[in-house]
Amino acid sequence: MVEQLLNALTLAGLLFLVSAGLSLVFGILRVVNFAHGVFYMLGAYLGFTTVALSGAFWPALVAVPLVVGTLGALIESSTLRFIYRRPPIYQLLLTFGLALILEEGVRILYGPTAKGIDPPAYLEGAVRLGSLQYPRYRLFVVALGLVVAAAVWLFLRRTRAGLVIRAVAQNSEMADCLGADVARVRTLVFGAACALAGLGGVAAAPMTTAYLGMGIGVIVDAFVVVVIGGLGSIGGSMAGSLIVGAAQTWGAFYLPETAMVIMYAVMGAILIFRPWGLFGEPE
Amino acid sequence: MRRRDFLTMAAVGGLGAGLGVPAFLRRAAAATPIKIGMPAALSGGYAQYGIQAKRAAELFAKDITAKGGVLGRPVEFLYEDTAGDPATAVRKAQKLVEKDGVKFLTGIALSSEALAVSAKCPEWKVIFMSTINGAGSLTAKAWNRYFFRVNTSGPMGARAISLYLAEGPMKRFFALGSDYAWGRDSVASFTTQITAAKKEIVGTDYPPVGTKDFASYIAKIRQSRADGVYLALPGQDATIYLKQAHQFGLNQEVKPIMEILELENMKAVGDAMVGAIGSSRYPFTVDTPRNRDFVKRFHALHGLYPDMFDGETYEGLEWLAQVIQKAGTDDVEKVIDTWEDSSYEGLEGPFFMRKCDHQAVQLGFAVEAVKDPKYPHPVPKILATYPGEKVTPKCRSEDFS
Repeated sequence: MVEQLLNALTLAGLLFLVSAGLSLVFGILRVVNFAHGVFYMLGAYLGFTTVALSGAFWPALVAVPLVVGTLGALIESSTLRFIYRRPPIYQLLLTFGLALILEEGVRILYGPTAKGIDPPAYLEGAVRLGSLQYPRYRLFVVALGLVVAAAVWLFLRRTRAGLVIRAVAQNSEMADCLGADVARVRTLVFGAACALAGLGGVAAAPMTTAYLGMGIGVIVDAFVVVVIGGLGSIGGSMAGSLIVGAAQTWGAFYLPETAMVIMYAVMGAILIFRPWGLFGEPE
Repeated sequence: MRRRDFLTMAAVGGLGAGLGVPAFLRRAAAATPIKIGMPAALSGGYAQYGIQAKRAAELFAKDITAKGGVLGRPVEFLYEDTAGDPATAVRKAQKLVEKDGVKFLTGIALSSEALAVSAKCPEWKVIFMSTINGAGSLTAKAWNRYFFRVNTSGPMGARAISLYLAEGPMKRFFALGSDYAWGRDSVASFTTQITAAKKEIVGTDYPPVGTKDFASYIAKIRQSRADGVYLALPGQDATIYLKQAHQFGLNQEVKPIMEILELENMKAVGDAMVGAIGSSRYPFTVDTPRNRDFVKRFHALHGLYPDMFDGETYEGLEWLAQVIQKAGTDDVEKVIDTWEDSSYEGLEGPFFMRKCDHQAVQLGFAVEAVKDPKYPHPVPKILATYPGEKVTPKCRSEDFS
């Protein structure tokens, strides 16, 4: 029981890192970013490179989000910026195209073989919790998820920059009139969202290895999280990640044949009874 | 037909018969290349398999050119990317056949693609040589005269590892198969054979393809107190399972038994893979003079060691070239007749192409992943070798008795 709870929290931690950015980007930019999962994959691969170059895990945890975030900001200001006023189909084509280009780019650069990363030595192996043996690294991922969730929440609620971001999310035109630099906010938020996804990728790599297609796998779950939690809401991302994490781990354990169904059933129920999500606001 | 036309044609015909054609023209005609089409998965999630086929073809092209080609003609490979999608595979194969005039298709990565393409070959009148595809049905229900399988099939692999386990001390097994045809079929085949050997299956689960977190399954496998866990998970899923089971400390308690023990997994998982056992279609560590030489040449060209389908594809191409040479023509029907009931000395041992379902009878291997200071990653060590007759199913069937 405790083991399943920890498993659910591990998965929820990783899902939060990805879905928080997806949700933020939608809240601020009104763009459904299909390329978001690719930044998660990019994080994992760059994590592999950083670990290979530096010989240690910690530098990757700092350097990779910075690199992925910068890349994200560059992509926003060089492509997405020009299509905000176009019909949504353009966003779909653009972000989907970006996802394909980046994914094949990674394949050409790294080849088709998955790349394994070892966790740092003192997070190797399992720790004994009562009768239970649990991998140290997973406990670290749980902690990382909690710390980042708290940090993002505090940033948005308690800082001036967070206030501006929330203002742009609520009404970008009004925020513009009041003197907020909306274009800059968009670029920075997109970059920050990509950085979070990159961090998720680095954190996931020791558990899953870095492999092609990991972005597509995670983006489907992240969409479910965002639909359940509510688009644009960080609290919703936290709640949604916990629900999806729990549905997947408990489902696989107790009802393996219907594990996938449970997650989508929850999403379906939300869409019927509360289409704006648990923490979203009706438009 | 007017008289003059008749004369012209007769003259041309006479010339063409070789009476007056200058030698250089005749040689040019004889040197049209033999084209081999490879609609392989070169991008997407299964690219590792298509890329193996391509690597093998590149080495083979180099070797055969050095030998002066086949029937004195050069061999030319035409690659198309299917991205692992059956509909695309059929479209690309059709393009190769109809536009490029290819008579031989190979390099197809997935069984789903292979089933779709194989069904078209009687209509196109081209040979499809499988060097990768595992699905038993390709040489059973879905078989046709134009399909040849040079590689070890899925049921043959399951047979080899079951024979090995039947003699071993492990008694209780958990079976974990990906939730699609190959995973479920392999688990069914393993269950039948292992219970026949008086062993016990203590649990079965079918995680969805692309599972990222195996923690729940790992907990269940631990609770089942099995001695070994049989894994029919495709490439990446197997890598993730092994990595996570290692972190949970499960691999020491419950031995991983792989349906296919691939180098790809060993490279990605690293030392955590050591101790895993399984069957192998082609373990590159086989110690025969032919194979030692092949591994050396492969490494010189590509800078890495050949994985299962590098070896199997190279063998297929070499055998096909020998058959065309023996037939004295690349005419499809004559090549088929020549290939049936013929033998070939492969890299790891003898091959025999049986006529009844075109399944190549060959050695079966049980292997273990071990550390060897000579290599940068774990490598397969051969635990047991079984003769072809013991691991090949009955004709046009997936069953052994």
